[in-house]
Amino acid sequence: MSKYSVIGTRVHRVDGPEKITGSAKYTFDLVLPNMLYGKILRSPHPHAKVLKIDTRKAEKLIGVKGVVTGKDTIGKKQGIWRRFPELCDEEILCRKKVRYIGDAVAAVAAIDEDTAEEALDLIEVEYETLPAVFDPLEAIAEEAPQIHEGVELNININRHIEWGDVDEAFKKCDHIREDQFVCSSQAHVCMETHDAVASFDYGGKLTMWTSTQSSYYIQRLLADMTGLREGDIRVIKPPTGGGFGSKFELDSAQFCAAILSMKLCKPVKIVLSREEEFTATKRRTPMYYFLKLGAKKDGTLLAKEVRVITEGGAYTGMGATALYLTGFFSSFPYKYPNYRYDGYRAYTNTAPTSAMRGFGAPQSTFVGESQLDMMADDLGIDPIEIRRKNGMTPNYEVPGQAYIQSCGLHQCLDKIEEHIKQRGKLPPNHGIGVSAYGFMSGGIFNWFDTPYAFSSAIVRVNIDGKVDLFTGACDVGQGSDTTLSMICAEELGVKLDDIRIHSADTGICPPDLGAWGSRETLMNGNAVKRAAADAKNQLLEFAAAKMGINIVHDLDIRDCRVYLADRPERGISYYDVVKEAIRGKDGEAIIGRGHYTPHRKGMISPAYSFGVQAAEVEVDPETGRYELINVTTAHESGTVINPVGIEGQLEGAIMMAGGYGYCEDQPMDEGKILNPSIADYKLIRSLDMPETKILEIDTYEPEGPFGAKEAGEGLTNPTAGAIANAVYKAVGVRINTLPITPEKVFRALREKEAKKKKK
Amino acid sequence: MIKDFEYFAPKTLKEALTLINKYQDECKVIGGGQSLLILMRQGLVAPRYLISIKGLDELSYIKDTKEGLKIGALTTHRAIEKSPVIKKKFGVLAEMEQRLASIQTRNWGTIGGNICHADPAGDPMPVLIALKATLTTTSLKGERNMPVEDFTLDYFETALEPGELLTEIQVPAPPPRSGAAYTKFNIIESDLATVGVAVSVTLGAGDGVCQDIRIALGASAPTPMRAKKAEAVLKGKKITDALLKEAGEAASTEAEPISDIQASEEYRRELAKILVARVAKEALARAKSA
Amino acid sequence: MKKELKLTVNGQPYEVYVPPKTLLVQVLRDQLGLTGTKRGCSDSSCGACTVMLNGMAVKSCSILALQANGAEVRTVEGLAKGAELAPLQKAFLDHGAFQCGFCTSGMLMASTALLAENPKPTKEQIKEGIDGNICRCTGYNSIIRAVTAVVKGEYKEEK
Repeated sequence: MSKYSVIGTRVHRVDGPEKITGSAKYTFDLVLPNMLYGKILRSPHPHAKVLKIDTRKAEKLIGVKGVVTGKDTIGKKQGIWRRFPELCDEEILCRKKVRYIGDAVAAVAAIDEDTAEEALDLIEVEYETLPAVFDPLEAIAEEAPQIHEGVELNININRHIEWGDVDEAFKKCDHIREDQFVCSSQAHVCMETHDAVASFDYGGKLTMWTSTQSSYYIQRLLADMTGLREGDIRVIKPPTGGGFGSKFELDSAQFCAAILSMKLCKPVKIVLSREEEFTATKRRTPMYYFLKLGAKKDGTLLAKEVRVITEGGAYTGMGATALYLTGFFSSFPYKYPNYRYDGYRAYTNTAPTSAMRGFGAPQSTFVGESQLDMMADDLGIDPIEIRRKNGMTPNYEVPGQAYIQSCGLHQCLDKIEEHIKQRGKLPPNHGIGVSAYGFMSGGIFNWFDTPYAFSSAIVRVNIDGKVDLFTGACDVGQGSDTTLSMICAEELGVKLDDIRIHSADTGICPPDLGAWGSRETLMNGNAVKRAAADAKNQLLEFAAAKMGINIVHDLDIRDCRVYLADRPERGISYYDVVKEAIRGKDGEAIIGRGHYTPHRKGMISPAYSFGVQAAEVEVDPETGRYELINVTTAHESGTVINPVGIEGQLEGAIMMAGGYGYCEDQPMDEGKILNPSIADYKLIRSLDMPETKILEIDTYEPEGPFGAKEAGEGLTNPTAGAIANAVYKAVGVRINTLPITPEKVFRALREKEAKKKKK
Repeated sequence: MIKDFEYFAPKTLKEALTLINKYQDECKVIGGGQSLLILMRQGLVAPRYLISIKGLDELSYIKDTKEGLKIGALTTHRAIEKSPVIKKKFGVLAEMEQRLASIQTRNWGTIGGNICHADPAGDPMPVLIALKATLTTTSLKGERNMPVEDFTLDYFETALEPGELLTEIQVPAPPPRSGAAYTKFNIIESDLATVGVAVSVTLGAGDGVCQDIRIALGASAPTPMRAKKAEAVLKGKKITDALLKEAGEAASTEAEPISDIQASEEYRRELAKILVARVAKEALARAKSA
Repeated sequence: MKKELKLTVNGQPYEVYVPPKTLLVQVLRDQLGLTGTKRGCSDSSCGACTVMLNGMAVKSCSILALQANGAEVRTVEGLAKGAELAPLQKAFLDHGAFQCGFCTSGMLMASTALLAENPKPTKEQIKEGIDGNICRCTGYNSIIRAVTAVVKGEYKEEK
């Protein structure tokens, strides 16, 4: 008998049937009676005072039902780092000042979208433009314009991580490298743009349907920004078309729809256009990296010094987390005896930068893995070997930062080494680059200042044995509904089909911090497991009495059968037990409760996943164009709960991570994003997608439910670095800025040729 | 947001021409609309009258005659891509169409619409120029014929006069011992060209001298252009690798590319240089085996 | 001024009145309530709006509704026969060929059109068939595996 009944099996997604028949109703599809359509007016200037807004002409347009500006709000600033008021710096609907092209200044509700859009043209805004600054290095100069009152030199945040003594350690190194890198921005490009339907009723209650990664965060932030009681706000997450880090902060679609609805007492729907999605939502944090790495000639790494300045954009958002994590993950996945990180985030008059899948780790992995390969090259050591020599191992403590329990990095290195060997001799202009990474399974820090457990779940067993699972966890495509249902079914001992999950409706589900930082499987999984265990124990109490078993025996449930753990042939039907238990509880359904908050788990996360990726490219040495041929990843994420889900996450991450390395970019001119369309923002399509191969390594994480940990985000880390290393292996040029475009490769090749000729 | 307009769906060419003649500058003609609708949705084009000629089946045809191919302006890209006669006799056209945008776009968009949109990065024009194609425009006054390379005047501007419709494209039958090839450089397979190059080579009988050559560049100037200096390097000579390189260099100097977010001007010139040599070599190989 | 539009969608004839600037996708979603077809961009690049028109895959956001007068349109809602899923839909379920699901209708329609035109496409042709459709979640390979499974005959259509 296999260890588990449900987890580890290949199942259909629980939301599958509705999605493949087109019957899933996303926020995008929602239509309510008397619903109005909203559009948002945004600043064309990167930095300006708002002197006057005249909405009278817009209000008079036939079909327009209402116009709001910052004056219709309670005038507060919000931010997701609620514990730190100085980082709550965003009004969303600006009152006196705009800080980037795209900052919202007004919103209109009308009978249809076209009318609302027409009305925007009739709103007259008087701006006084201010000098603006776009580059973080320029923003911290004395003469730069101040973007937020009271923030000197536009330094939004700084972070420091240190252990050992790097300065002393560098003196002992045989070889030191100093390198600079530039990591670009990246857009999430969720297929469903940010959208919300807000409905404020005459009873003073606000209901919102929105595509979100955290209905609880939106509920709380809306309460902060509207003055309504948290409990008078209900946020419901319908099936959602992607998040990737862009949808767990309060956004302009949600806030403006709420304010309009509150004013008009009618449902208001706002759907951001794709252009707004590119220009007026948050994006990946661009970073300037300065790395100093010191090693002994045998490849032992002794010291690493990291200095980073990031482009913060106009508001903080999740910038503090990205800044910290990039510094923390710069030490991954190796054992550095001495380490120092100093990171600064500067405000700039550009679209705010915040959270995107990987959260600072794609950047740190790109730069770190590039430099490590360069070091290996300098020392004449094989890239796998240098990683093996320094790689993290299970039960390792990152001094003062994190305790790593399970870690399958070395097995991953072995697998990739084997894969490369099997590939054999490569054709000309081909190269395989390697990149190793580690990532977290949810954060431990309560910057949101929630009084609730980080994850909670309720399990209700009904008379027919069918189970309702209530959880705040948000499925935005990554499959948490399915994974959590599987955990619940396994723990409770029933079939997946017996579980019906109700998720992400703050009106009926207990709070969960949401789907970000790779936390759902580990944190909500633990909560769900505990809730299921609670319900199971209540059932087993009745079963024990019913079966009249000796006190030395334990009972368990599996495949809908209650049985003696050590005498499995003795058992009775789960369905019978349920009926008796409910009768025994005077007709009350069996309710199990569970919650999880990480305690004393270091500074970052309760658990970490690891992996190694090998990317093969073929470079055209004349044009610099290269093709992604194959990306093979050895990955360990503890026990695999949902194999179909994990494969999907791992393959999908390669499209996003590959794009970060290969083609995605947001060039700007004076704060204006130049390619705010899917035609111009280059994305990997099916003809461009490399062959992918996933090699699973078996590990077990004690912290996670059934030994599971994250699988969705870590994979976004390695590909840019693997590509950089592969291009170097193929044609001998190093590109230290992202994305690695053909033109950059071409120029580097020409430079190399020119240098050769000089000799 | 698309602005309101009055819509006509004429059933015959004559009806269409009458409408276009009536409304002149106030109207726009829509074929498949794969380019036009994007402009209209962005508010860049807002005609008072829109004349849909998509239903004019009489303009959708591929005729193989002794003189060559006659393609109706409303023939879809997909029809050209899939046409057995084109695959057999004018393979470069089918190859070009296969890399144009997506199947969905090719199913509804027309070759005439593409050429009238006059995007210098468009795929069909360089190939048609290389194949010495001509085209016919029709109005109530009659017909005009011209080489395709005279049709594009500037970015998104053609030689169509008010009241005129592009009705047919003619591709002359390839002479014996000729071959043509096309490629475009981009980083996403189905993307518009960063630089596009089409070459047709005709060899003389016997000694393999290049009797005739056409080199056309896309996305290298405000309009699709012939690289005449590059052609002069190869015409009348026996093509060698060294000459191909020289032709490429010539093409890179006569091109007038811009710098934009896709590529710098310098890189585009380099791409023209490299690709002209490569595509000419391929065309030569095809001519030899013809 | 609104104009009459007659078209058949999923075998059902409809008669609607639309302003000329209406796009086909708007008729399908807003007038006929067939919200399975999605929209994800403003420049005809993402493919989420793909439907079949007279047997061909097209982007419904890039077709004026009135140009579809007299046409036969098929949307994702027309794939299943009652409660019986089409082979492609079953294959998508089995292979996890979707995650957030927003691109899925477009992927299914592009694949359906591909197989209708060519029941035995090569892997390259399958990739080409969905190259007009962006997916941000799956990385495409699971979709290609699902379509391949149908091509191989692993899902016999029920009679």
